[in-house]
Amino acid sequence: MIPPAALPAGPAAEDRTDQNDPAVRAAQEDRLRAVWQPPSGLFLRWTDVNNNRVGVWYTLTAFGFVLFAGVLALIMRTQLAVPENDLVSANSFNQLFTLHGSMMMFLFAVPMFEAVSIILLPQLLGARDLPFPRLSAFGYWSFLIGGVFVSGSIFFDAAPDGGWFMYPPLTTRTDLSGLGADIWMLGLSFIEVSSVAAAVELIVGVLKCRPPGMRLNLMPLYAWYILVVAVMILFAFPPLIAGDLLFEMERLLGWPFFDAAKGGDPLLWQHLFWIFGHPEVYIVFLPSIALFAMLIPTFAQRHLLGYPWIVLAAVGTAFLSFGLWVHHMFATGLPKISLAFFSAASEAVAIPTGVQVFAFIATLWAGKVKWSTPLLYAVGSLAIFTIGGLTGVMVAVAPFDWQAHDTYFIVAHLHYVLIGGTLLPLFGGLYYYWPLITGKRLSDRLGRTAFWILFTGANLAFFPMHFSGLDGMPRRVFTYPAELGIGGLNLASTIGAYLFASGVALICLDLARSPWRQKAPRNPWNAGTLEWLAHPEDENWGIRSVPLIESRYPIWDQPGFVEKVDQGRFFLPDAEEGRRETIITSVIDARPIAVARLGTPSVVPMITAVALGSVFILTTYHLYTVALVGAVATLACVLYWLWTGTAEIPEKREKPIGHGLTVPLYLSGPSAPGWWAMFITMLADATAFSGLVFGYYFFWTVHPEFPPAALPDPGVQWPMIALGLTAVSWALTIGAREVHARGQVAATRLMLALGIAATLASIPAGLAGPWLAGMDPAQHSYPAIVWTLAIWTVAHAGVGAICQSYTLARSLAGRMTPEYDAEIRNISVFLHFLLFTALVTYATIGLFPEASA
Amino acid sequence: MKERLTERIRSLRVSLWTLIVPPSVWAAHFLFSYLWAALNCAKVGQFARFPTLFAVGTVLALLVILAAGAIAYVQQATPGDEPPHESGTRVDRLRFIAKSTLLLAGLSFVGVIFTATPVVFLTDCR
Amino acid sequence: MHRIGRARCAVIGAILLAGCNRHQSALAPFGVEADQVRTLTIVLLIGAVIIAGGVALLMQHAIRTPGGRLTLPQGMRLVLWLGAIGPTILLFTLLAASLPLMRPAPVGAADLRIGVEGEQFWWRVTYRPPGQPPVVTANEIRVPVGRTVEFKLSGGDIVHSFWIPGLAGKMDMIPGRTNTLVARPEKPGRYRGVCTEFCGLSHALMAFDVVAMEPAAFDAWLAGQRRPAPAPATGPARRGAQLFAANGCTGCHAIAGTDAASMIGPDLSHIGSRTAIGAGTLPMTRAALTRFIRNAPGVKPGVRMPAYTHLSDADAQAIAAYLEGLK
Repeated sequence: MIPPAALPAGPAAEDRTDQNDPAVRAAQEDRLRAVWQPPSGLFLRWTDVNNNRVGVWYTLTAFGFVLFAGVLALIMRTQLAVPENDLVSANSFNQLFTLHGSMMMFLFAVPMFEAVSIILLPQLLGARDLPFPRLSAFGYWSFLIGGVFVSGSIFFDAAPDGGWFMYPPLTTRTDLSGLGADIWMLGLSFIEVSSVAAAVELIVGVLKCRPPGMRLNLMPLYAWYILVVAVMILFAFPPLIAGDLLFEMERLLGWPFFDAAKGGDPLLWQHLFWIFGHPEVYIVFLPSIALFAMLIPTFAQRHLLGYPWIVLAAVGTAFLSFGLWVHHMFATGLPKISLAFFSAASEAVAIPTGVQVFAFIATLWAGKVKWSTPLLYAVGSLAIFTIGGLTGVMVAVAPFDWQAHDTYFIVAHLHYVLIGGTLLPLFGGLYYYWPLITGKRLSDRLGRTAFWILFTGANLAFFPMHFSGLDGMPRRVFTYPAELGIGGLNLASTIGAYLFASGVALICLDLARSPWRQKAPRNPWNAGTLEWLAHPEDENWGIRSVPLIESRYPIWDQPGFVEKVDQGRFFLPDAEEGRRETIITSVIDARPIAVARLGTPSVVPMITAVALGSVFILTTYHLYTVALVGAVATLACVLYWLWTGTAEIPEKREKPIGHGLTVPLYLSGPSAPGWWAMFITMLADATAFSGLVFGYYFFWTVHPEFPPAALPDPGVQWPMIALGLTAVSWALTIGAREVHARGQVAATRLMLALGIAATLASIPAGLAGPWLAGMDPAQHSYPAIVWTLAIWTVAHAGVGAICQSYTLARSLAGRMTPEYDAEIRNISVFLHFLLFTALVTYATIGLFPEASA
Repeated sequence: MKERLTERIRSLRVSLWTLIVPPSVWAAHFLFSYLWAALNCAKVGQFARFPTLFAVGTVLALLVILAAGAIAYVQQATPGDEPPHESGTRVDRLRFIAKSTLLLAGLSFVGVIFTATPVVFLTDCR
Repeated sequence: MHRIGRARCAVIGAILLAGCNRHQSALAPFGVEADQVRTLTIVLLIGAVIIAGGVALLMQHAIRTPGGRLTLPQGMRLVLWLGAIGPTILLFTLLAASLPLMRPAPVGAADLRIGVEGEQFWWRVTYRPPGQPPVVTANEIRVPVGRTVEFKLSGGDIVHSFWIPGLAGKMDMIPGRTNTLVARPEKPGRYRGVCTEFCGLSHALMAFDVVAMEPAAFDAWLAGQRRPAPAPATGPARRGAQLFAANGCTGCHAIAGTDAASMIGPDLSHIGSRTAIGAGTLPMTRAALTRFIRNAPGVKPGVRMPAYTHLSDADAQAIAAYLEGLK
């Protein structure tokens, strides 16, 4: 920890005599350039992990998917142009709308936000790269493999066809649904894993990789939004992953979670899906607002008005958005009082949204507006979004929703929200940030023409849908009778859709012409935030020297800022040891606390993604043996990756980063990025687990008698023994951490070895309860959920044993010492969560039947 | 006395965790409301004529939010530089987090009121 | 109110060449519940237009105003009042006004109950008039005007959703659950309802006719439905009745008064009195019946009823003649 007084304050401290020497600077630049040299070669170039490459691949891939999903929509609109059309069959149509929705959500909106953030975040934070570059690469390859797998299925007439919400029992009954359902579940679960990985990366990036001096109140608003959205992903995606798990158990093994005939309930899926599904809307909307929060101050040429208000809005929306999920279930017949709570929250969530819109209006009002193409997109999309937001308030009113629900009114509403709140802002962001990525500007003329085509097309396509919906047109119909008299409205929608598509085509044309254009000047919009330090002739090192931040808009407010960064007058201007490095700072006040050595180009992330992808894809085709081989390969890859690429003991304890500051090269415990990554991952894991526990108690509420008296219980004895063993393992590990810190290495190893034994012993003990009681999971939802909880917990115990063994091995190999002890501190976090999981599981399956009987 | 209290409040540590206290209380209250209604309707079949438990929970939630808001109010008024309070100083950072907490307390307060309103209008499980 | 609806129709219709239907529209209500919601819809739409217009004008003004006209405190007041406090008051008012609308109307023991069960892709309908034995029909719902009706909705195989836009909001039909929808029809006439929860291949072809009748006419009709199916009267119809049994149709369909009693498919006892076949898919004509009998999956993809392409056209027509006569 460096006391605040140690921070260099004012310009005096920034002058370093040696930085005045151009030869010194040139030598530094040569070293940096060599260190950040991207790999080259036909194959090796794809092993790059630098955010500026991976982010661009990620963005382009997501853009490819949005175009593909857009074409699917055009086919649908063509089918619906006239009543009783037979261009495509019902079967194809169902695949089209399922894939359109699923791709737009899972392969475009969320990944696009993560992709853009991977490019922008390090630049915004004056970091050289994100804290875990290889994790970004792994996320990208997972996304690519999963995305191609899911979207390609339509060419084999095997695409999912149950709607993007996949309601059982239509989708779980294997006589009513085919391979498509498995492709959806397993392919998208794989992508969800990569989304969570990216969220971990972005959260740690925002919290730990800010430049010195960038206290929380100086963070660019984009970073605030990223933080909020990434945390939302952490709590929103895991319930869906839990749902996916139950879903596949039912499809592949016949465990009846959603089969009403065997004690299941289709509504359980709807809860788990929408606990994910509604926050998801805000997950894809807030990043676009974040883009506005960056570009509106630039074009108003002043600071954004009401910075804390925007933070309020982002955080407030994030919380409220988790209280809305039942408004997708207003027609499911839940008690009206339950619906009313969600109706109330659905209306309350409009308040922070209003605050954001008015903060932008006030900023534009107060500033001297410089009209531009990106601003046109921002303002236009706010107008469209406002309409979508207002219809959102309408459908939050339950009685109105009972009419509008599952009709084209909702189609209109959600497209206004997503076009105004995601797609058009992204196009605006494209025009704004293109010079940052490529050094060139896009054509203003084409951009504005495209905007007006898009704007007209969107309104023509979606406005009539409000009325076709209220006139009785349900969603997801491949045809409609002429007698409804909605042919004209639908034809207008189809024409609008084609108009919109031509606008997108125009933007693609503009992008395609970019390589032949001149380089633009640096910072062409005269923006004030850090990312615009990027030079048109881009270097791969991210930033020349990591600046000291004293303002929210340092380029505007800090005198000589750009020159000082360029001349390496700030921190870490060199790469003396030939390592990729970035500064780690403290969470609240961004005091520099360490220099982190970053991952270098490697083929491991790609191979790991392939191995993990094979597990999901092979399971889809019921090739369980090969899938098991894939799982073992994945584990091997991960262990190799960790062993060779993490918690490396540095060659020296600390290094100077300039201005008389010397910081350590190794961190462990709560100040280290790795510890945070573990903690955040385990939060996501615990959330998924809570989804399963919710399942157990949900069944309890829907059945008059649960657990059913006629079915066997796991008993109290074995669950308590398993819990005891887990507690022993936990105590041994925490004890090992403490004696290790006191230098007693031999005792540590002994305790770890005993801990492994206890963890392993808890596995058969955990399964013994349901096993010895003869509980048959295919018989009823009760044994099925008990088995699921037990298996989840012992699987975690298995991972715990691997963690403990890994730590023991690191110690034995001399890669972990009392001074450099990140491993044992990180696995302690896992063990805390393991104990928590075991406590909840074994209390639930062992004690609850006794308590409720 | 009042000054000492103000001093004391201003010296309290603020962080991202204190920032999310008010909305977390809203979330807890929301979950409580949902569970209270769902369990009553599923297991009892109706809810009590005078929903005492619900009223107590709501008042408690509002009090905690008010307390968080009051502390944040005192903190965000910590004297220091001129507005707009956006420099990289310790006091501006404190004021920013306190101001955001105060605003979140406002939103959460309104949120709890919104959540509680249905109980006034709907009194059965249909 | 109805005049507003028609005016809207004319305006939108003129712009978009759209006709506006009167029989399957939330904007053309024939029941109390739908009428309330239509009023709500109009109020909400007007409010939305005013707010959207206001925000757009304000935004335009903000962009055009030269810099420095709005001071920081003024800007913060704008955010506070128009961004936060204004919407809070509006939304709270809306919430308080809409909550009473959520209360379902009271139902007494003397009210008519109609059980509807969704199947892929048709509706099993059971009338339960108080104090009388139930009557089973399919794919058509008749309701008496001026009386409260309680629908008991469930999902027979998978999740469906029951929606008569002109009568009331929709309610899902979920396997293992029974949901309740209370409505009060007011205007006699012929209307239409549809399935609104995606339920597979022929989700788009899962509709039903709704007939709102004067109470006396309804009682008479219900009494007629209770009677066994009429015996075939013509020669082709008699042959059709034999073919119906010989080709295994009785394995799925029930016809009251005959040996056919299976409940797998729709009850056909009085199919001739309905206006459509295949759950609102084809009109009730002999040609359409013939087509449906010979190749139901060709008309409705994914339907459970197999194709009977081996039946000659004449045989199929004979069965159609038999069914058509089941008034």
